[in-house]
Amino acid sequence: MNTSLVHIIKKWVPEKSKVIDFGCGDGSLLKDLIDEKNIRGYGVEIDHNKIQECILKGISVIEKDIDEGIQDFESCNFDVAVMASSIQCLKEPHLALRKMLKLSKQCIVTLPNLGFWKCRLDLAQGRMPVTPNLPSSWYETKNLHLCTIKDFETLCFEEDFVINEKFFLNDKGTKSTMASTFPNTFASEGVYLLAKK
Amino acid sequence: MKTKTELIKFNQGLDLESGARLNTFDLMVETYGELNEDKDNAILVCHAFSGNHHAAGKSSDSDALGWWDEIIGSGKAIDTDKFFVVCSNNLGGCSGSSGPLSVNPESGKLYGKDFPLVTVTDWVNSQKLLCDHLGISKWHMVAGGSLGGMQALQWAISYPNKVKKAGVFATATRSSTQNIAMNEVGREAIRKDKNFMDGDYLNHNVKPKNGLKTARMLGHITYSSEDIMDQKFGRKFQDIKSKIEGTVDYEVENYLQYKGEKFSDTFDANSYILMTKAMDGYDASFSSNGSLEEVMKRIKAKLLVVGFDSDWLYPPKRSKEIQLAAMNVDVQCSCVILKGEQGHDSFLFASDRYVKIIKGFLDSK
Repeated sequence: MNTSLVHIIKKWVPEKSKVIDFGCGDGSLLKDLIDEKNIRGYGVEIDHNKIQECILKGISVIEKDIDEGIQDFESCNFDVAVMASSIQCLKEPHLALRKMLKLSKQCIVTLPNLGFWKCRLDLAQGRMPVTPNLPSSWYETKNLHLCTIKDFETLCFEEDFVINEKFFLNDKGTKSTMASTFPNTFASEGVYLLAKK
Repeated sequence: MKTKTELIKFNQGLDLESGARLNTFDLMVETYGELNEDKDNAILVCHAFSGNHHAAGKSSDSDALGWWDEIIGSGKAIDTDKFFVVCSNNLGGCSGSSGPLSVNPESGKLYGKDFPLVTVTDWVNSQKLLCDHLGISKWHMVAGGSLGGMQALQWAISYPNKVKKAGVFATATRSSTQNIAMNEVGREAIRKDKNFMDGDYLNHNVKPKNGLKTARMLGHITYSSEDIMDQKFGRKFQDIKSKIEGTVDYEVENYLQYKGEKFSDTFDANSYILMTKAMDGYDASFSSNGSLEEVMKRIKAKLLVVGFDSDWLYPPKRSKEIQLAAMNVDVQCSCVILKGEQGHDSFLFASDRYVKIIKGFLDSK
């Protein structure tokens, strides 16, 4: 995860809050949040090697396929649920978001933007986009439901999710005026803080 | 590996959950490795229902390997070069700790069927006295599988300041209805053995071997799984020369006959009943009127919960229940479900991932 993204997420996560990170990877983000914000953190991961790294770091990690298991944690009252760069890999992203907002007051979601100009250029040339944010070729990608910034915000509107904060990053993973002003074309990645209405 | 086997006498007595009291009791204890100067490298391992204090290495009187020898030893998952590992035979057992085969100091006679009912919590309380006796202020880890896993969990609940980490493997916060049902069939086989004599067989110099054997045969079916039995035995016929019983047709029958026979030679029937009753009776939430969260709140240890996919006695969903209850009350807890080749018994074997995870958990901050 790039440093701007980590920085943004850290700002949004309240001190001492209870956080669940879906697709937590090697647990780095949770480790940072535990060290710096004193959170009570849990990760959900399916990759064996990453689970092993979480355990070594002392991070509480649960082995589970996110597609099947979000609702299992409904009773746990989280303050923040994080899903970084995974929402587009799920079978039913809209249902996953609903479930996340059921178990947590707020959700932090990051997603790659298919409307990014380099993606558009690739498509205009008749090829599937391959960018730093979408690095895999069409036959290897785990992404099932790619969308644009506009698409995502339309979904939030239709589902009655409130966008409390949002940030846009260019393909270098940094903030820029262009990405913030015209995100659907110039943001490579969108970062959202969502809540229920 | 430095190994020490010792019978430790406790004169301070122990009040049991049943209301009974043992004025004195003994624990048969085996230790591996060495306690460091700070006394912070001690690990308590708790045995499952038919296990005992002999957890690792070869025993002094026979060549039998300890029940967790695949996991405990020099360079193994629980590394005895680093850790001081302690294992005690549970009270009510039949391997040296006070139990039905010991002499009741009050009456001067064997306890037999009169040994009081013991519970998982009683075992934990007896081990707390052992912990004090050894001068250990806090276990680096308490771990076990099955009935031993219940003990590890109960340690974290009963003595939150004494447990840094708890390894809770192939177990549950309480036995299921099916677990109780299976155990009752085993007990019934023992009770209906004509040599059982209402538990008074020691005074008649007989042993309800047939009942114990049947109980163990059933037990072995539950520790295994359909797939494993298929792989291990299939429908292969037993060759005539090595048939244990004339009635045996298939290899699986011979295997169960062999295991049952061996067990009935060494295990005590009253212990069998006590141990299975303790297992059936365990309910972590009992002390808080059924609220698991209420008791789990007390835990300060980090938990590692491991389930095995081929275990149908304490299946993965039981592990997930522990994890969820922990998460509900902010207890730190990891939960993994491993591929187990051996059904419920998988927790005994050193599969690659299992070893890595235990090592990682022990090394983590």
